[in-house]
Amino acid sequence: MQETVADSAKGATANEVSPRGSERRKLLAAPRASGGWRLGDWPAAWLLIAPVIVLFGIAVVFPLIDTIRLSFFDIKGLAKPKYIGIGNYLKLFADPAFRNTLTTTLIFTLATTAISVTLGWLLAMLCAFAPRRTLVFRVMIFAAFGISEAVAGYMWIGIFRPDAGGLLNTVIGLFSPGFSHPWLGDPNTALWALIVAASWGGVGLPLMLCFASVQAIPRTVLEAAYLDGARPGQIMASIMMPLSLPGVRVAIFINLLGALRAFDIIYIITGGGPVRATETVGYFMYRESMTQFKLGYGAAATVVLLAAVLVISVPAIIQRTAGAR
Amino acid sequence: MTMSAPKPGIRRRGLLAGAGLALLLSAAPSFAQDLSGELVILQWQGGTDAELWQKLEADFIAKHPGVSIRELNITAQGDARGGIRTALLGGETVDLIINTWPAFRKEMADAGILRPIDQQWTDNGWDKVLDQSWKDLGSTDGVTYGIQYTYGDRSGIWYKTSQLEKAGVAVPKTWEEFTAAIATLKAAGYATPIPMPGKYWAHGEWFETLLLRTGGVEAAAKLAAHEIPWTDEVVKTTLKKYAELLKAGCCGTPEQMFAGDWDWSADQIFKADAGNFLLIGMWMNARALNDYKLKEGVDYNIFQFPALGLGHDDTSSVDAKELLATANGANPAAADAFMGYMVSADATKILASYGYASPSKNADPALLGPAQQTATAAVAASKVQFVLGDLLPGDLVDEYRVQLQKFLQDPSDANIDAVTAAIEAKAADAY
Repeated sequence: MQETVADSAKGATANEVSPRGSERRKLLAAPRASGGWRLGDWPAAWLLIAPVIVLFGIAVVFPLIDTIRLSFFDIKGLAKPKYIGIGNYLKLFADPAFRNTLTTTLIFTLATTAISVTLGWLLAMLCAFAPRRTLVFRVMIFAAFGISEAVAGYMWIGIFRPDAGGLLNTVIGLFSPGFSHPWLGDPNTALWALIVAASWGGVGLPLMLCFASVQAIPRTVLEAAYLDGARPGQIMASIMMPLSLPGVRVAIFINLLGALRAFDIIYIITGGGPVRATETVGYFMYRESMTQFKLGYGAAATVVLLAAVLVISVPAIIQRTAGAR
Repeated sequence: MTMSAPKPGIRRRGLLAGAGLALLLSAAPSFAQDLSGELVILQWQGGTDAELWQKLEADFIAKHPGVSIRELNITAQGDARGGIRTALLGGETVDLIINTWPAFRKEMADAGILRPIDQQWTDNGWDKVLDQSWKDLGSTDGVTYGIQYTYGDRSGIWYKTSQLEKAGVAVPKTWEEFTAAIATLKAAGYATPIPMPGKYWAHGEWFETLLLRTGGVEAAAKLAAHEIPWTDEVVKTTLKKYAELLKAGCCGTPEQMFAGDWDWSADQIFKADAGNFLLIGMWMNARALNDYKLKEGVDYNIFQFPALGLGHDDTSSVDAKELLATANGANPAAADAFMGYMVSADATKILASYGYASPSKNADPALLGPAQQTATAAVAASKVQFVLGDLLPGDLVDEYRVQLQKFLQDPSDANIDAVTAAIEAKAADAY
């Protein structure tokens, strides 16, 4: 009841300051005393948003529609396109190489997201206990997020080198002399090596997002918990972790999308091999479109990837913007 | 040297284009003399090769001061065809395209991008400097499009001389000697005498020369054109020969093979002293000279693939680079002049200074280094076949390389059947 009264009061005040509805439209459309015209709300809104819509149309909508169009054609190299309807999609799902990429993409996406978000979240919790003293540490972790994936890729190739000169083999060799394993050459370890490399670059963002969420927790809540005798572990588990969940959700969303579309790091580190063990949908799309130049087939793979991205992102966007007016 | 290349009938479009061009040239006899304007070359090579091209272009301009040359550079890692296609489909207009893939030449010819050069070949007397086999190699469906300016042996095995000397191994001439050399080198402490570069494509080199030595150029040409299936006995016999090497412990575990590309293998032999033999193209020469600072013929050398004794030991795999003229180039006269220049004595001299052999009769073999001379002589004495991987449709070549990786994982007879069946299944859809 109180809220209703308060809202009414707010509405009345707002109406007094800025008339609404037909009255306002009349007022805005009326000739000004100086002889000029004022634009109405809607025309003004469209005018302001038009440049963005035009740019969005050129940069996103047109390529998207064109990609969907291309996916219905058989295009091989420089030959003339041939309309084949849903032929590319039928071929795609019958292609064992593509089916293999779906499994690989799923493993890569879920593992990379799980590792990077969990690590980022835990580090954020720990950093939150001493924000000032962990500033340099946080910057260092976040810096990995800003490093080009190509550069990071070459760095990880050095770490996973198959001989004793590789950093990982050297470290393991300290405990097990003579140890040497071709991490990137072994189909059983190549994907996990790639996941580790991609997760390393992905920890920075969850760390910052979760840290920001923890920082937003009212100080009084934490102080009350301390006064009630809660230990740091309890505060972390019962207050900081639950209240930082909005940040975790955003981090999961962003990392999922990033992992789903991953290409650079795979291209640099493994090239999709060995024996296609690290070929994700994103890499498959590149191989078919740019190496084989089967643009129609590659476009069909792109549309499938787009659909996967939409399945993840649309519910997340709806959920994130549900409260907005 | 005899070159194996498919020669189907001449296409009507090619004939019409050739006739039209001949008419144009006869109506303008002074066309070739008045060289001026800009010549645009589509260039996709980097590093030393790019430097070589700068020298060639500068020398051409010195001879034709009225011409300026602009390179349209395609940046590509690995296969440059994607970048070239993008440039051409994007509307870029060039006069000349550097090409090394016969299958790609056909693709461009079928798309009407290339200009036939049969008339120029006759008018400029190129048949006096290039054998018919080179002309055939530059032809698609009976129409000549390319002029070959360099070639390389792809059946030569590189080695470090000191390693073989220390182990008491003579350069092997037969398959038996080669497998015995592997055993001796292993006993001398080399765990992987052949550090097989199985990461991307280079493991196919062994298959391709073994195929030639097993079935001859005819079988290899038929396989490239899918006139025989991949399940043919000649392919299976080739893989069984390949398996002999693997079973002799030549190359380490499949995981080790998949871990590196050819440059990794080269490092293992020439830098780390951890391996002995590398079957790869003539670009290895430039790496040995420039990167490892080794002396050609002294520190390292090359020997031709050992004889299998199956009746086809006079065969070698080769690669080549050619220049293609485009149908819509703005300066066809300069393009033709440049093509002629590339087989001239001056151009072959520059090519030789970078370690590249030329098929031109104007080339002086004495300018080449010892390893290059060995390879050139071997190719000259061989029936040659173009690199199989460059002849296969793009869709198939990828599957072929992946299936060969699966073969490296398990070289058993049962898996040879599975691998050949998988390549054949893809081939059935790719042609």
